[in-house]
Amino acid sequence: MAEKITHSICVGGPIAIHTEDGVIRRVRPIVFNETDPKGWTIKARGKEFTPHRKTSPAFIALTEKNRAYSYDRIRYPMIREDFVETPDGQNRNTDNRGKSGYRKATWDEALSLVAREIKRVQDTYGKESVTAITSSHHSWGLLGYKLSTFARFFRMLGYTQILDNPDSWEGFTWGCPHTYGYHWRLGGTEAFDLLEDALKNVETMIMWSHDPDTTRGGYAGNESTMWRHWLDDLGVQFIYIDPFNNFSSVKQADKWFGPRPGTDAALCEGIAYVWLTEGLYDKEYIAKHAHRFDEWADYILGNGADRLAKTPKWCENETGIPAADIKALARRWGTTKTMGGSGLRGGFGGVCRTANGTEFARLMVQLFAMQGMGKPGQNIWSGTTGAPMDYNFWFGGYSDPLSQIANQPIADKTAVNCVTQKLYRPNLPDAILDGHYEWYGEGFCGGGIDQEFTEHVYPEPGSNKVHLFYRYGGTFMGSMLDTNKWVKMYRSPELEFVVNQDIHFHGESRFADVILPACTNLERYDIGEFCNSGNGGYQSHSQTGCSWQVVVFQDKAIEPLWESRSDYWIFSQIAERLGWGEEFTEGRDELAWCKRFWEKSDLCEKISWEDFTKKGYYIAGVPEDWERHPGFRWFVEDRPCDTPNHKVFQEEGRLGTFTGKFEFVSESLLYWAPQDEVRTPIATYKYSWEGHHSLKAKKYPFHLISPHPRFDYHTQHNSSTPWFWEIPENRVYINGNPYLVARIHPKKAEEKGIKDGDLILLFNERGSVLCVARVTYRVEENTIHAYGSSGIYNPVKPGECSMDIGGCVNVLTPGRLIGDMVPGMAPNSTLIDVCKYDGPIPQGQYFEHKLDKVAKEGDADAETCVEIIEGNGFFHMQEKIKNKAKEAVKK
Amino acid sequence: MRLGIAIDSKACMACYCCYTACKDEHCGYDTKLSASQPMMGQFWMDIREWERGDDSRHIKVATVPTPCSHCADPACMKAAKDGAVYKRDDGIVIIDPVKAKGQKAIADACPLGAIYWNEEKQLPQKCNMCAELLDDPNYLSYLGAEYKKPRCVEACPNGALVFGDLDNPESEVSKIIAKNRVTQLPELEGKETNVVHLNVPTVFLSGTVYYPEEMEEVCVGAKIKITCRKSGEVFEAITNDFGDWEVEWLPKKENVEIEIVKEGYAPIKLTALTDTDHYLGMTYLTKA
Repeated sequence: MAEKITHSICVGGPIAIHTEDGVIRRVRPIVFNETDPKGWTIKARGKEFTPHRKTSPAFIALTEKNRAYSYDRIRYPMIREDFVETPDGQNRNTDNRGKSGYRKATWDEALSLVAREIKRVQDTYGKESVTAITSSHHSWGLLGYKLSTFARFFRMLGYTQILDNPDSWEGFTWGCPHTYGYHWRLGGTEAFDLLEDALKNVETMIMWSHDPDTTRGGYAGNESTMWRHWLDDLGVQFIYIDPFNNFSSVKQADKWFGPRPGTDAALCEGIAYVWLTEGLYDKEYIAKHAHRFDEWADYILGNGADRLAKTPKWCENETGIPAADIKALARRWGTTKTMGGSGLRGGFGGVCRTANGTEFARLMVQLFAMQGMGKPGQNIWSGTTGAPMDYNFWFGGYSDPLSQIANQPIADKTAVNCVTQKLYRPNLPDAILDGHYEWYGEGFCGGGIDQEFTEHVYPEPGSNKVHLFYRYGGTFMGSMLDTNKWVKMYRSPELEFVVNQDIHFHGESRFADVILPACTNLERYDIGEFCNSGNGGYQSHSQTGCSWQVVVFQDKAIEPLWESRSDYWIFSQIAERLGWGEEFTEGRDELAWCKRFWEKSDLCEKISWEDFTKKGYYIAGVPEDWERHPGFRWFVEDRPCDTPNHKVFQEEGRLGTFTGKFEFVSESLLYWAPQDEVRTPIATYKYSWEGHHSLKAKKYPFHLISPHPRFDYHTQHNSSTPWFWEIPENRVYINGNPYLVARIHPKKAEEKGIKDGDLILLFNERGSVLCVARVTYRVEENTIHAYGSSGIYNPVKPGECSMDIGGCVNVLTPGRLIGDMVPGMAPNSTLIDVCKYDGPIPQGQYFEHKLDKVAKEGDADAETCVEIIEGNGFFHMQEKIKNKAKEAVKK
Repeated sequence: MRLGIAIDSKACMACYCCYTACKDEHCGYDTKLSASQPMMGQFWMDIREWERGDDSRHIKVATVPTPCSHCADPACMKAAKDGAVYKRDDGIVIIDPVKAKGQKAIADACPLGAIYWNEEKQLPQKCNMCAELLDDPNYLSYLGAEYKKPRCVEACPNGALVFGDLDNPESEVSKIIAKNRVTQLPELEGKETNVVHLNVPTVFLSGTVYYPEEMEEVCVGAKIKITCRKSGEVFEAITNDFGDWEVEWLPKKENVEIEIVKEGYAPIKLTALTDTDHYLGMTYLTKA
């Protein structure tokens, strides 16, 4: 057998792909040999620490073969059965979107229809009447990922851009720049070189709303797991604070606190009270580096406007954590060298996605400041970033404008969008359904604090509304809130034409008029670096979440399956039909674009194009005595900032706030939003608009928390990989449908007559989701835990706001923003009730028959979804492809 | 040579890389050494997890990746007819996918439940330590023969799975075993196996000690003494900064007496049965 080995990256990390006779045989981690550089060695506390000589992708990366041959692949271009191409865009049975099935179309038919509709809509209503948005992370690579090919096409076309909200770190983006700056890191901290600092100095780790082995530093796979084992073995104490005793916690925690969801800011205030009354904070540091600290301290101690001391007893009443334990936590933190942070890279976590998210994020920063942030062993560092790296080697990340084919220098000509009108993702359905929407901010506000306060109106004066929606990816039904709002939007006749371009038949795909099948990363060329999200207003140097800096030539392992095509091919075909194909491609094919990224980065100085594409990857080694720029050390030591991602004013030793100090009373909020009651100049704990003090709590007594998923990434792996449906902590496969696990405390389960493994209904006024009960002490009595975004959106009555059996718990979450001036989303401020489900158990998944029908149209012998999931369908598919390849060779 | 895998339950974070790599290798592909693992229903690398504790105040989870143990004297081999199960010279236990057809007794014989019965193919199936890859001279030839490992081991990011020659005391696997607590799974007690489990927990007892309730203070430094009634064996602990105490690795199913001592306060006596992990509650001291 002729075995070929190529390489690629997906959101779970870099992989080696073995291919035999034109089909993928296996997917492995990339294992280094003697030709690859030596890894770094950190010497600390009498020991030496060095990483394994391989990449450590997450298990989701090891499913890439299955995602390619998945039962839910979109195999052919498809057109909605009852779609009518009326010349005026009216009477198109839009109400049936989600409900109707599809018919197989040819590429020419589908592409010509899309091009005709784009032209018709733009000719009728203007350029701005087309809108489009991408999902995140269903693929990886500087060419194919969303900010490159997609952006090039739509900027050249002209369209109403939909601004992304900072969906994973809301409270940090909207809160922390007002406390310590770092708007250019979206409110996240600078954790450079803190792994070494931690190994040498730290005694206590505070993991606040943080499950590092689940969120894996974003896209860093399991690279940092070993680091936390090292710390554990050194005797470092791990304290986890999370309403769910999460997967890292149950293995590693020395202590777990489960505050009532949404009350973490109260816990911050309780800790501060203990420190203030017992003198357990760095007074010298605060005197020097804090702004209006005393006013805040007065507030905590009961001398503020509310005359309420934030005592441990008060804190106990809000959080449910005993006062004595709160004091113990405060003392441990205040008397030992402590590092910590919230979620993913330290400035994320489920808490920041609550009604009180900004205030928690700001208070958490204030607490770390009170302990002398930046001194050895004292910092915001969450154990997931800050590995040594060669800062002098540059290869772009996906958000770098310099690393996108939309821009120079990669392209000869930069693509510029001629439309200024915008929409805002969390409220896209509101804007479409109401025809009007106003909001503050630029979504990701990496360009400056002022960007949080820009005012937007849709439709923009003088502009038309949007009537064509081009959706690239399809995971918002699962990852965005109040799913049924999106259902209503898709059924609206305001959207005269809906295109979906995706790899798998996701929730949103099933609402499109035309579906264009894209291929996976393994079926096309691309180039990319492990966990590098770039520096385009994102958090730069995210690749320090990895033990190794790895750039991969994402070789085409196999030909596109069925009639799927690369995103680049699809967009260039439409561009050609619109008459600007040549301008779009600049005469380059995908491989030629890949080479541009090599040529325009430092990679071309390190390895030749031929060697790089032959070997498949390049490891940027770390020099023996690497440059060290520990985060915040410059600030403590009163010298110009030397970290690799700083702003000019930091060279005067200042932070990015108005005063250059930690602002305990925010001058920027006093300037821009003094009247805002959600995010106040002094960060304070406030009752949630959907929390235990709400009237609604009487009817819906449980907090639902739906953090970032452990067994998925934005719904993209759970749906395509039935292997995961039998992981007991993830799903239970019953009657052909994988039900998501929801966790409930044994006492409450007993009250409700629920036993472990029972089907239970999670419900509130927004909808209902059928899950399987996991009865566990890992949640407190007030909490139900079910992972967000792990939804296979699967309503019992497709196209309607009916019960969901796919585990799309965002059916239940509030669609409103955190506040009028705080345009973030807050899924973890959700109240629900639960009951045992005694209704009929559905058979199978409701969308499979639609796929089966089109598959059979393309090939009478095609395997059905169920045959691929449960039977020998996978084996047959691969055999058929192999035989075809063999026949082709014979001919 | 005796090939084996050491599995460290402490290092395992249940990340499911081993599980996924195993499925990736064996689902959908027949080899001479095994029929393909069905897409659903079999777990040649089964991650067994159980929640430890009976109170939200102190909960842990044990994670134990559990493949076939490749016993020295396999029960499945004894149950097999026509040599349908055989042990190779390197110690790997193989179920012959042709000869084993119809022999459900092979699956039933496994004390660990690591052999699965394939109803459709009428075949017992299990982990074969990726023997077909270890045998294949071409597999990973681009790296070198020394890089060949079972897929689960290669995919483990934490060094929780280590592969090698158990007969060679210098091998990585032998060294890991020597350094750690060997914890044979209860189902395999007394058996010699080529898969060696390390640090699989037994039972803990734990609790929290507070000063008198009105003080709202945890008690740091209280002494805990656990005495097994039958054996007289003694375990000791001291409450930490959170007033918590915990004793791991207790013998199972023992009646024990617990004494909590803090100078100036009346000693407190509790009893417990180590049938399973227990949190003995929030204990409040009273003045002596």
